[in-house]
Amino acid sequence: MTAELLIQVVVSGLLIGFVFALISVGLTLIFGVMDIVNFAHGEFLMLAMFTAFWLYALFGVDPLFSVLACGPLLFLVGVLTHKLLIKHILNAPMLAQIFCTFGLSVFLKSLAQFLWGPNFRSVTEPLLGGRIELFGVFFGLPQVTAALGAVAATGAVYLLIYRTELGRALQATSEDRQTAALMGIDTEKMFTLAWGIGAGCVGVAGALLAMFYYIYPEVGTIFALTSYVVVALGGFGSVTGALVGGLIIGLVQVVSGFFSPAFKMVVVYLVYLAVILIRPQGLFGRW
Amino acid sequence: MVRFLGLGLLLLGLLLFPLAVELPYPQHVMILIFLYAMMGLAWNIIGGYAGQVSLGDATYFGIGAYTTAILLRELNLSPWVGMALGALNAVVVSLVLGYPCFRVRGHYFAIATIALNEIVATIFTNWDFVGGAVGIYVPILPESFVNLQFHRSKAPYYYIALGMLILVILLNLWLSRSRLGYYFRAIRANQDAARALGIDITRYKLIAYALTAAITSLGGSFYAMYVLYIDPTSVFAFSISLLVVLVAVLGGVGTVAGPILGSVILISLSEGTRVLLGGTGRALDVAIYGLLVMAISVLQPQGLVAWFRALRQPKAREAKVGRAPS
Amino acid sequence: MEGPLLELKKVSKRFGGLWANREVSFKVFSGEVLGLIGPNGAGKTTLFNVITGFLRPDSGQILFAGQDITGWPPDKVCRAGIARTFQLVRVFRGLSVFENVLIGALLRNPKPKAAAELTRQLIELTGLRPWAEELVDGLPIAVKKRVELARALATGPKLLLLDEVMAGLNPKERQEAVELVRRLKSELKVTVLMVEHVMEVLMPLSDRVVVLDFGVKIAEGRPEEVVKDPEVIKAYLGERYAAGFGSLGGL
Repeated sequence: MTAELLIQVVVSGLLIGFVFALISVGLTLIFGVMDIVNFAHGEFLMLAMFTAFWLYALFGVDPLFSVLACGPLLFLVGVLTHKLLIKHILNAPMLAQIFCTFGLSVFLKSLAQFLWGPNFRSVTEPLLGGRIELFGVFFGLPQVTAALGAVAATGAVYLLIYRTELGRALQATSEDRQTAALMGIDTEKMFTLAWGIGAGCVGVAGALLAMFYYIYPEVGTIFALTSYVVVALGGFGSVTGALVGGLIIGLVQVVSGFFSPAFKMVVVYLVYLAVILIRPQGLFGRW
Repeated sequence: MVRFLGLGLLLLGLLLFPLAVELPYPQHVMILIFLYAMMGLAWNIIGGYAGQVSLGDATYFGIGAYTTAILLRELNLSPWVGMALGALNAVVVSLVLGYPCFRVRGHYFAIATIALNEIVATIFTNWDFVGGAVGIYVPILPESFVNLQFHRSKAPYYYIALGMLILVILLNLWLSRSRLGYYFRAIRANQDAARALGIDITRYKLIAYALTAAITSLGGSFYAMYVLYIDPTSVFAFSISLLVVLVAVLGGVGTVAGPILGSVILISLSEGTRVLLGGTGRALDVAIYGLLVMAISVLQPQGLVAWFRALRQPKAREAKVGRAPS
Repeated sequence: MEGPLLELKKVSKRFGGLWANREVSFKVFSGEVLGLIGPNGAGKTTLFNVITGFLRPDSGQILFAGQDITGWPPDKVCRAGIARTFQLVRVFRGLSVFENVLIGALLRNPKPKAAAELTRQLIELTGLRPWAEELVDGLPIAVKKRVELARALATGPKLLLLDEVMAGLNPKERQEAVELVRRLKSELKVTVLMVEHVMEVLMPLSDRVVVLDFGVKIAEGRPEEVVKDPEVIKAYLGERYAAGFGSLGGL
């Protein structure tokens, strides 16, 4: 493998890794605060991607600007999901909780298929198209932009969680719901926020991905599965873990994709099984 | 007493059905209902009794289908033997997946089952020996029970599927009275209390999962001999995993009647929308499934069977097997 | 006297910087009722969890009938002959009282018929017959505790660990529970290690008492002796009272 190839693979892995990280931060935030795995996370992403697509196809809005629309829109979707669904199953057995978001995932995916058909769409002429040279190798400008956007968004969430009053309240709620309530934290508000921000992350990620990725109803599944692996690797509930995990999995995926495109996801899943076997709490996990 | 009479009549009706209705399509729908009821009951063992959510049972459906088809093609092995070996394969795979997952929390297992489904589907899609993405045609054999192939009518398939379903129902009934079944339910109710009573929870979760995998793979083997052509998209499809779960959950997790009821409703819905709306109808019925699952999880996690029970006897306790004499 | 049934040798367990149990050592002899007391946070339930395998001790040994069971998983501990109840009742919801106890009985009686027979006997013994067919979900706490007790007994233990069985019971229910524990000892010959806060109950029932405070054993002996121990009085009532009181009030 030449140096050029190595750089290409590693940097590509990191670029997509940042996007994985952003998606996973959303997932891990919801789990951390509520102890619920959002099985519809991939479909939230898919909704964001379609929103960005339609804004482009109908109104000529570039996905980069759609970030400003998709983020808040998905934030709203997250809030609605909590208010209409999740709130009612907070204390239900795990079975019911898994099924609830699982049902939502199925519903959204098939609704998208029903409304927009199974065909692949794409943003054919993104604003920041073309290529850019980094370290002597060429990369797609949309991919680089997406990665930068993801870094910015992840950074914003990180700051929110670890440097603000609100973030501290979220952390407290995720540590111990009851004590947080006793301390005067409005846990209902925290839950709603967790869902809102969690979905918002995915909203931003979706718009960024729309710049260069194919858009179709099933697209959420692959990203969701990848983000489950990332969250397991990084540790359920850890934002740092989601970031580090995202980068690692991004690398794993691109490297294995290089050797065997057909099996690249298989390698990612094998990483998942390895994590469960060797260190279930992940790199930065709480338990 | 009334119950037995009712069941007897039902059984009689089912036995006579293919003779009364000789059209292939209704018989096909009934076969699908039996198949999914059987797999829903299988899912019930890991999901309903042991309480572990598996979202990737198509893995075992496909393993059963492929094992049977390949062994027939390569070694001329009877499909019945192929069925047994398919079940064996399924058990091995389930144990390999279950072992790491059952030592940790429930979400891990659920996600892992989806991942496994994808892994196995990818492997088969890229494996030339089994035909890759194109799949394989099951060798056509002279029509006979031993060959598990019938060309002139669907009726024999109907009876075999019914027979398999009845066997699985009996298995479930036996489980509900046996030590195994009680241990499963203890694990679902409270794992720590179960451990404190001497129950090795990992071991029993593995047993439950192996049973589920084996029965589901029998369904796949049957399917291979019924449709006579299989490919990764048709036998490892996520929609199969999904439907199996829905059948069990909608009807009533942890009951025997539940998956049967669920299968009747969902298959009718599925075929109904397909007939009415054609191709695009497919996505719509799945959308309705999604809504149903959400509604059930929020409103009545026990499924429809629990609703019916509440309607019939609002104040009565749940009928239990293996109780003390009064 | 024969060797102890249960022996703890310098068992220690910490959580981060906090020592929940620190070099706790004592013995439980066959046929006795040993009370384990101490102020809140003394580490009693942690000790139970360590003995029954839900937690691994950081150091120390646990010997049961001469065998080293340190670090054994809970199911193995139960099969060896130790059963327990939980502080926060953990009955199997969705199942009847009978079925709950049956699941315990199935351990040493794999055939459901034999298990059912044992279950019927235990339900009689523990006075649960009126509720046998009912789902545990809606039953009062006193009944649920008895179900847990019967269920634990069904596993045929040599040693029974009771974690605050009296909590949440009214005086009449307490009396019934005391009677039950007495019968466990006299009729079933079960050795009992019980954690209890309610002194009026624990003292008369126990043959001996071990006192924990901040994870350390501070006293061990017969109830009459322990209540007079200044260290024990200090732990419960504070320094000021240790000098003034002859013994813990009311006993």
